[in-house]
Amino acid sequence: MASPSTSKKSKPKAQKDVPWSVLVLDDPVNLMGYVTMVLKRVFGYNEERAATLMLEVHTTGRSVVWTGAKEKAEFYVQQLHSWQLKSTMEKAV
Amino acid sequence: MNVIPTLEGGLSIQPETEADWMVLETIASDIGRPAHLAESLADLMDKESDWEELVVPDLEQNFNVQCRFVQAAIEDARKNNGQAVFIKAHDAEKWYGAINQARLSLQARYDLHGVEDFEDAPAELRSAHFRDRFYLTLQGLLLEYVMGESE
Repeated sequence: MASPSTSKKSKPKAQKDVPWSVLVLDDPVNLMGYVTMVLKRVFGYNEERAATLMLEVHTTGRSVVWTGAKEKAEFYVQQLHSWQLKSTMEKAV
Repeated sequence: MNVIPTLEGGLSIQPETEADWMVLETIASDIGRPAHLAESLADLMDKESDWEELVVPDLEQNFNVQCRFVQAAIEDARKNNGQAVFIKAHDAEKWYGAINQARLSLQARYDLHGVEDFEDAPAELRSAHFRDRFYLTLQGLLLEYVMGESE
């Protein structure tokens, strides 16, 4: 699957350098074990880290699962969408 | 309907009645239009991200592949042996994805998790609920016995 950022125009460096957070949002369909598995596969997290993030999604409705460069954040959200998880990104505070 | 793990690390779904086959065939019709899921995920993104243009077509294609694969596997199984649908380990993600699409679609259409009592619910809603529970069971078995994750 092609990166979603390949055909984008370049932005000023200062704006590019702002870190972005990838969020996973809770939904009533995706199973907890599945969400944990996806976090392990997409981000390479170990079982404990992935399960902690999954539980945060389950209990608070959302979790910041990764923070970093915008282009990579877009790539991760694309991956999470392909696994059918509700996911989005926002500028990190 | 019986669903049992196979020695090769997959699952065997063994429909026993015409109704069992119909439930399996309903997976594809419950999915409806795979593009809808891709579009609803894109709605979570900022409009400036051009997600609709850059990502949705790939997602839609991916979801369509899952749906068509499962639909064909069920049709072939019914036509060729009429006894079992085999899910091989390397096809498990396609099956899980298609079933997940069906459950997400049912949730979007009927808000099943917002319903507290199905006893007195309309027949269509109860039917959707039972299909969702069946799909959920299949997903649990796929995760536990084929994809190496327990719920």
